[in-house]
Amino acid sequence: MNKDKMKTMAFSNLVGSIIFLAIGIWAWLQTDNFPEVANTYVQASTFPRVMIVGMLIFSVVLLIQSIFKLMGTMKPTDPVAVEVGTLNPLKDKGVAAAYLVMLLCVLFAALFKSCGYILCAVVLSMIIMFLIGKRNWVQMVLVSVLVPLLMWLVFYKVLTVNIPLGPLNFLRTLVDMI
Amino acid sequence: MDFSLLLSSYATVWSNPEVLLMTFIGALGGVLLGAIPGMTATMGVALLIPFSFGMDLIPSIGLLLGIYCGGMYGGSISAILIHAPGTPAAAATLLDGYPMCKKGQAGKALSVAMFASFCGGVIGALIMTFLSPLVADMAMNFGPGEMFMLAVFGLSVIVAISGKSVAKGLISAFFGMLLCTVGLDPTNGIPRFITTKQTGLLDGFQFIPTLIGLFAVSEVIAGVERIIRGEEHEQKSNEKITNVLPDWKTIKRIWPNILSGGLIGTFIGAIPGAGGDIAVFVSYGASKSASKHPELYGTGIPNGVAATESANNGCSGGAMIPLLSLGVPGDSVTAILLGAFIMKGITPGPMMYVTELPTVYRVFAALMLANLCMLVVGCLGVRFFAKIVSIEKKMLYPIILVISLLGAFSINKNAFDVGVCVAFGIIGWLMNKYEFPLSPILLALILGPMCEKNFVRYMNIQRGNFFAITTSPIAMVFATVAILVIVYSVYNQSKINKRAAANAAQEKA
Repeated sequence: MNKDKMKTMAFSNLVGSIIFLAIGIWAWLQTDNFPEVANTYVQASTFPRVMIVGMLIFSVVLLIQSIFKLMGTMKPTDPVAVEVGTLNPLKDKGVAAAYLVMLLCVLFAALFKSCGYILCAVVLSMIIMFLIGKRNWVQMVLVSVLVPLLMWLVFYKVLTVNIPLGPLNFLRTLVDMI
Repeated sequence: MDFSLLLSSYATVWSNPEVLLMTFIGALGGVLLGAIPGMTATMGVALLIPFSFGMDLIPSIGLLLGIYCGGMYGGSISAILIHAPGTPAAAATLLDGYPMCKKGQAGKALSVAMFASFCGGVIGALIMTFLSPLVADMAMNFGPGEMFMLAVFGLSVIVAISGKSVAKGLISAFFGMLLCTVGLDPTNGIPRFITTKQTGLLDGFQFIPTLIGLFAVSEVIAGVERIIRGEEHEQKSNEKITNVLPDWKTIKRIWPNILSGGLIGTFIGAIPGAGGDIAVFVSYGASKSASKHPELYGTGIPNGVAATESANNGCSGGAMIPLLSLGVPGDSVTAILLGAFIMKGITPGPMMYVTELPTVYRVFAALMLANLCMLVVGCLGVRFFAKIVSIEKKMLYPIILVISLLGAFSINKNAFDVGVCVAFGIIGWLMNKYEFPLSPILLALILGPMCEKNFVRYMNIQRGNFFAITTSPIAMVFATVAILVIVYSVYNQSKINKRAAANAAQEKA
């Protein structure tokens, strides 16, 4: 296949359809393990299987459409001939930054309970602001500290939602005292 | 219709300080978010829905309706001032709004947009008040088979218009429906796609963390990507705003456009899947065709702004009709509203008009109040909102992210939901990047359980004979319309693709 075609929407559709086909097949195999219940007309696996069949059918449609497009000569004006973004972080700094944000979000979710919301949110927003080119340190510190603090206060006092604070647990006592 | 109950509901809602405050805050938040290019009303509602958890139903619905109405109007501010629509529903407003701004009439354009938005919203709310009980009355005869087909119809319409490829829209919808089946089977309690040890997923993917992930976190990730690539430019507006409301002469000139726009917006909004982005262009086209001077449209006349803004706010009332009377959301924002109702233990649909009639009437009153709050917020803050369009995205994205992740936690006070939100943020980013639409997933998460519940009921009643559904004329009407919509969408999409290709070829030549 022409290397340029691998950068098109048609190729990404091909990859997308294969991924959804794989998800569908995996899900179908999983439904085989659902226990069956006697005296019912609809088993636990029935509805998911209908959805899986629907997803597989349209994945195959997209796969066939993409193959035809890639095998033939696509006009540059064809909507699926447009160049799509890569997922390779080495080729695109934007994608590398997106991956970094995702990693930070995953770390945020993992450390949320032990380190607490405010600490995690301050670090997360500071790093993201720095990453996207913000260099006004006063604004950065003010925004990344005040926003999580204010949000915590609103949720704690107004909405009475207890949010993990980790090492900053003393804030709760402090606010209760005031 | 019980007019005395309707009036007493209005009195209850409009005299409740909590409802007034929350609706006002919602309208303010909606206008602020709507004014920022790229921030949609869906995202605004997704971001602010966690703040409604601790409240009673009507204040929380008031908050969300305020965001909805405010967001619709807010989109016009950036469309007029910086030629960048804040929301897709404001895309047609820039056709006349921006030329007016260039002519030094920014204040007039903004005041016309605000007045038309308010009038459009009121028209939508009035039609909703009188039409939705009739639809609900008709829907009282629906059994599980009809309700199942209704859910299929709702999904088909939304899928069909939700992207450049119908196949991709349908894949997204079926994927969303499959996600709904994760967790315990609602009939027999059998774990599906999980083990009983995975307690966090026993109830399936929670709606709010999934929604926040798909619509807010993914947008932040994409925004960071765009900033690093240098594709996101800060836009500034230095326009001086002098008018707050249009003068009487202008109102006399634009009222036919407001009336027609409000009506068109309401009826288009009432069709599941067809939202403000379609209504504004239909209304603009109709207004232009009916005008004695169509050549003036696009050159900067208030009639164009009035036609589009009344249409997109009329949609808010229209979209509430199928939501309240059938339990089928008209667009992605009303899908979130449906989630909010369910969270509060109330299931919208025809039965709501029997068991929860006072609640229904209070929702009507809340929508009217939301429109009034939008007008007040608009009048008080129009000069300030003109500055909001210039807000720095480098500060905005981290703020949205930390609020989003906190919102995901607060629904069940469960750190696992933060992980779910992040996971769906990543999935949403990937799907957006490769143009798999996200709205069908959102709607599938809402309509999926309704679909399955009625499917199971129907199959058990009919002893496993699914094809007995062909004996129900109503179900067959829904099924036929669903098929026709999909077939038409495939045809229409191929036409759009051909036209786009021809335009691109022309540009190249």
